[in-house]
Amino acid sequence: MAVSKCTLLTGPLIKQLLDSVDTVLFDCDGVIWRGNQAVPGAADVIDLLKKNGKRVFFVTNNSSKTRKMYAEKMKTMGFDAKEDEVFGTAYCTAMYLKTVLKLEGKVYLIGNNAMKEELENVGIQHTGTGPDLIFGTPSDWANVPLDPEVKAVVVGFDNDFSYMKLNRAMQYLSNPDCMFVGTNNDTRLPLEGGKVVPATGCMVKAVETAAQRPAQVVGKPSPFIFDCVASRFKLDGARCLMVGDRLDTDILLGSNCGLKTLLTLTGVSTLADAEAHQRSGSPQRLVMVPDYYVISIADLLPALQG
Amino acid sequence: MPGDFAFKGCRKIQGSQIIHLLKAKDFFLFDCDGVLWHGEHAINGAPKVVNSLIRQGKNVFFVTNNCTRPRENYVNKFYRLGFTDVIQEQIFSSSYCSALYLRDVAKVQGQVFVIGGEGVRKELREAGIPIVEDEIDATDATIYDCALTQNVKAVLMGHDDKFTFLKLARASCYLRDPECLFLATDNDPWHPLQNGRILPGSGCLTAALEVATGRKATVIGKPSRFMFECISSQFPLQPAQCLMVGDRLETDMLFGANCGLDTMLTLTGVSQMKQAESYRDSKQHTNQNFVPDYVVDTIADFLPAFDVLD
Repeated sequence: MAVSKCTLLTGPLIKQLLDSVDTVLFDCDGVIWRGNQAVPGAADVIDLLKKNGKRVFFVTNNSSKTRKMYAEKMKTMGFDAKEDEVFGTAYCTAMYLKTVLKLEGKVYLIGNNAMKEELENVGIQHTGTGPDLIFGTPSDWANVPLDPEVKAVVVGFDNDFSYMKLNRAMQYLSNPDCMFVGTNNDTRLPLEGGKVVPATGCMVKAVETAAQRPAQVVGKPSPFIFDCVASRFKLDGARCLMVGDRLDTDILLGSNCGLKTLLTLTGVSTLADAEAHQRSGSPQRLVMVPDYYVISIADLLPALQG
Repeated sequence: MPGDFAFKGCRKIQGSQIIHLLKAKDFFLFDCDGVLWHGEHAINGAPKVVNSLIRQGKNVFFVTNNCTRPRENYVNKFYRLGFTDVIQEQIFSSSYCSALYLRDVAKVQGQVFVIGGEGVRKELREAGIPIVEDEIDATDATIYDCALTQNVKAVLMGHDDKFTFLKLARASCYLRDPECLFLATDNDPWHPLQNGRILPGSGCLTAALEVATGRKATVIGKPSRFMFECISSQFPLQPAQCLMVGDRLETDMLFGANCGLDTMLTLTGVSQMKQAESYRDSKQHTNQNFVPDYVVDTIADFLPAFDVLD
């Protein structure tokens, strides 16, 4: 496979690229919206791609929304997206447990209501969501009663994360047969006003440290999240384009799955980041170099409208 | 030479070998959990060993990563469990040493955001270090609407059984300022309780904060050298005259190696002989730092030596 060249996508190259693919997969945050603001022109790009006969999917590491919630968010922001076009990690983790791990048993869940719903939708029982505060003595914590039906610990975004939850997860994972799955490894989300929100990667790492073993992570750059879409819709990776704003998740996913990759500069990664990977010569970094880049996905409009 | 990683004995010793060691060393540094006691139960013979060493005129110190009590509570525990000659000045906990670091090394000007219990907070207060004291356990506050304290110049992560997402989020915000120090009392991933049960350690919480911030914590506790430097700043320690006695290869033995001390593993705690031998036989040079010079089944193996020395 040719080494990705990080070429500016412009002029006739745009049509050439679009003609070579049947399917376009978009990351959401930093690509089609930023927080609650749609990227100008993004909704039109999606409409026109569909009018041009392309299939469009949305692939996000966020585990806090069900597919239904995503479809609703997209509708209010002016995007034409159906529930079955959106692949968030709440849904994909439930699918991973069901179809890949073939889980028979309950999940000890560190997560949120979206994950709860997606698990229930595929018939997987779980231990619930919400606060879990410490009580009693250290001996009580170490001897906390374990549900014998729990066969997997699943960690996603949980703003009720606590020491007690970390403890329970660790106790379950001391059984080497208990499976350990994380929705994604994203580290943090910046907020307005200089604040920052820790992301799921923090909680996964805390549990990995206590349990002294790694989680199986479903979200980008793990190929599973692409397999989730591809197996359902019979996609051919070579005829797919992955559009994202993060080199270490979106572009790396594309490389891992043999997709064409397009970096947009409306989000986290910069052109300098991509070029640094390109110059590095290191195999682990070269896979994060996109085939193409645009300033914004609105740059695709002229080719789509023409 | 002590601490040289070229070859570590990893030998079980007894009888005359222990007598020789007791004669050769003036400074004995003991870890506590798994070495002197298990929870609230002293290990058989351990109080007599410690009391005898002190009465023989040896310098005895206690070096523990456990930051859940202030030193004055530790003195009470020592007394309660029969270690009647131990005084506060001999006790070096990771919380006490964190306070010393903030006051004397970092010379922090501003407030410290502490994630930890009274064991840590009290030591900082006693050292005169201002800590953020607001009501951060209020359950309806979120990171989106909570106010951030101004002038936070350090974040100290300790063991916190009341750890919450909000505390993690607040600490992450303070650490966005590269001038704000990032300290951790210790990196232990888990701690043993009785009957083979374990609990998550501060290392898990520190790891979460490192991921959130993209920064690495400065770790005060073993195996970092800092606690040895704390003792050295108060007492005339010579590394060649020290023996570090502990139960955990990755903290106590590595600490000893890092400080150039002879090390002794006691088998009453976390690490087993097989693990020590595995490090010894490993091809990786750096694994030698986990290997003890000497091994005993229990520190009570010192007792016959005192009969001879008295």
